[in-house]
Amino acid sequence: MSFLLRRLAGVVPTLFGVVLVTFLLTRLLPGDPAVFFASSPTADATTIQAIRETLGLDQPLWRQFLLYLAALLRGDLGLSISTGQPVLRDLALRLPASAELTIAGFLLAASVSLPLGIAAALKPRSLVDHACRLVSTAGVSLPTFVTGLLLIYVFYYQAGIAPEPIGRIDPFATMPPDITGFLLLDTLFAADAEGFRSALAQLILPAATMAIFALAPLARMTRAAMLGALGSDFIRTARANGLRWRTIVVSYALRNALLPIVTTSGMVFSYMLGANVLVERVFAWPGVGSYALDSLLSLDYAPVQGFMLVMAFIFVLVNLLVDIAYAVIDPRTGLLDDA
Amino acid sequence: MRRREFGLAAASLGMAGLLPQREARAQSRAESLRILSQAGPNSFDPIGVGINRNAIQVHWNTYDRLVRFGTTRQPDGTLYYDYYEIEGELAESFEVADGGKTITFVLRPDASFHDGTPVTAEDVKWSLDRVVSNPIGRAQFSTGSMTSPDQFTVVDARTIRVTTPQADRFTLPNIAAAYPVIYNSKVAKQHATAADPWANEWLRTNVAGGGPYRLEAHTPGQSLTLSRFDAWKNGMLPGFRRILWQVVPNAQTRRSSLERGDADIVQDLPPQDVVSMAEAGRVRVVGVPMAGAFQFIGMNNSMAPFDNVKVRQAIAHALPYQQMFDAALFRRGRPLFGGQPGSPASIEFPQPLGYSTDAAKARALLAEAGFPNGFETTFSFELSLAPVAEPLSLLLQEALGRVGIRVTINKVPAGQLGTMLERKEVPFFFEGSAAYLNDPDYFFRIFYHGPTRWNFGTYRNAEFAALVDKTRYETDQATYERDIRRMITLAKEEVPIILLWQPALDTGMARNIDGYKYLFHRQLELRTLRRV
Repeated sequence: MSFLLRRLAGVVPTLFGVVLVTFLLTRLLPGDPAVFFASSPTADATTIQAIRETLGLDQPLWRQFLLYLAALLRGDLGLSISTGQPVLRDLALRLPASAELTIAGFLLAASVSLPLGIAAALKPRSLVDHACRLVSTAGVSLPTFVTGLLLIYVFYYQAGIAPEPIGRIDPFATMPPDITGFLLLDTLFAADAEGFRSALAQLILPAATMAIFALAPLARMTRAAMLGALGSDFIRTARANGLRWRTIVVSYALRNALLPIVTTSGMVFSYMLGANVLVERVFAWPGVGSYALDSLLSLDYAPVQGFMLVMAFIFVLVNLLVDIAYAVIDPRTGLLDDA
Repeated sequence: MRRREFGLAAASLGMAGLLPQREARAQSRAESLRILSQAGPNSFDPIGVGINRNAIQVHWNTYDRLVRFGTTRQPDGTLYYDYYEIEGELAESFEVADGGKTITFVLRPDASFHDGTPVTAEDVKWSLDRVVSNPIGRAQFSTGSMTSPDQFTVVDARTIRVTTPQADRFTLPNIAAAYPVIYNSKVAKQHATAADPWANEWLRTNVAGGGPYRLEAHTPGQSLTLSRFDAWKNGMLPGFRRILWQVVPNAQTRRSSLERGDADIVQDLPPQDVVSMAEAGRVRVVGVPMAGAFQFIGMNNSMAPFDNVKVRQAIAHALPYQQMFDAALFRRGRPLFGGQPGSPASIEFPQPLGYSTDAAKARALLAEAGFPNGFETTFSFELSLAPVAEPLSLLLQEALGRVGIRVTINKVPAGQLGTMLERKEVPFFFEGSAAYLNDPDYFFRIFYHGPTRWNFGTYRNAEFAALVDKTRYETDQATYERDIRRMITLAKEEVPIILLWQPALDTGMARNIDGYKYLFHRQLELRTLRRV
């Protein structure tokens, strides 16, 4: 328990550092938001000055930072100029969309890559091993927007099997009441079978695109870790002692190989959540990645800061989960006293 | 009762709600218009900080204005706004009197807001007062001599008068343009506070108007639904009951959705897609050269060597215009290159400046200017314009290299070129802009005059500046035309900036969509669209 508390206390300085760095980074951008937002040709120097005052950019930097901190403590992440909404509301709306897509993509990737990696490690240089290498090379070398556009072209444009690759649900369907923000769950809660089918159909292509991208590191890591574990002395001992094959592979080899796999999974998951801008663009998926990028391009500071803060928080959280998973998988880490 | 019989019975009893969902949906699909665009609105209020152009598509269709621009037809039949013909929208009639210094508007007796309350002169006054009480609104309205609420007088419940200190050609066009929407002032005032007397905060996210459509739902950055206001009296009732507008950032996705027949109208298409869509022929692509819009090569006239008019002329002769037009713009637009030098044929501006590609002439001019071996410079463009600017800058680099000018290309991240131009620190660049009002003197006043970044060439010429001031309130047509001709001649001779072309506004639409109208703000006019 004290481990958990220590880890949680460590989050505070990390987050403060993120707040400071994002604040300074956005101010270092060469563009002047007041000029950018005074985009009408009739805007003269006085209009630009008036806008600068409205945005609070005429204040000294330290004052801007203190005002920002004070607002943060009140739970106010500021207002996005490019969407016209409070940043908190935007993120609350978009984070579940990103999370739903990422989780679906991640589960899909894990369910393919783990068995594939294990099979490849059990029979090196076999057909399965070559398939594993092919899949991971393809996954690494194909940019996600190419995979996405390819899938759209084949399954929507040519074959017409997939629904129109726009958004999270059929545009003419009614949205279920917002409970979790995850459409698959919300439609289930509302007992809306058609909505569920529609949301699932919309999810398949983008999730597959994400999965193809995430397959490579997961499959490679599983294969390498399993090869290492299978070659160890304790496996040879287990074999010599005539343990069952299943027991050797699952209880001894896999459990020891899991540590690097879990680490990689944590990294891959966090990365998928924040950095899938291209997939979000191609499928018009209303996620946080494209939101942050659009804000950055339109010199809109508040959403960029809010996004980085939330992402940092999620990274820390995922790392914490990974650490706990470590402790459960391998008691030798000594992270949990009672595990 | 069998299912089919039940369906019949239900339909005959008018119980459409009990029809199988699929049929009901097909029916509503025919009366719905589905629009896909690259970005969505960030405000429902026309006036404010950082409002994007997509916002116009909402307030243009959910609010009315006192007057609107008339309609003409392009040679291909496309409807086009008529800048020089202004007609009533909320105003049943209007009268210009006192030598052009007062304009009196009489409201339609039956016009109402979405909540059913009638539109009164008080609402109009509040709305116009609001424009001049905002720094951004006032900056625009002052181009039409309107700067103070005192200039808007309520005569009676249905009559309002606008008074200007002098007759001004731009007063009426300003009232027909995007800013002066008429708000339901009773509703808006309820949401005003002491700190925010004009309800800016509330109007940014809510609509209080009486336009042909009312706002049904909005998910920021994703979608927006409008439904027809059936009691709308200020024109022919629009063809669609429901508008579903979705944000789809990727152009290929928008395109495939239109070609598959799932979307009705697709906006913001890149030129190369437009060309191949038109060739494939599955949908209709309407390309309209944008009035007042232009793309150009900018040169900082206050910076050596571009302060030398011969250098600017040399560059104007060295550019490979036709290649740029073909390879960068895919010919989607109207050329502003070529033409005849000397006195202009018309007073329309922008117009071709009379320079065509002639490397020998360019070399001779450079030698005359004292640069027989050329010089080195940096050419900048913003990455948001990359699809056009990238091929263009390579062609420019190659062509200028042939006359001895060594060009380094500088790609500026999106959103930052404006700041650099404001500081006047860019020597040589590619940009685009647009004037909302079509008079040539308005164009020159913004783009060839003054200290702002919109004077892209940082052009300073005493005679030109005097003419800019002189034409401002000129009422004599002959004098006006003579002065404008002189200004165009100067713009051609001194080439502070090199005009390239008017890009086309390309909109893709299903073959059964009719009534598309091009407007000065380049967003969709929903009033005229219908399915045939």
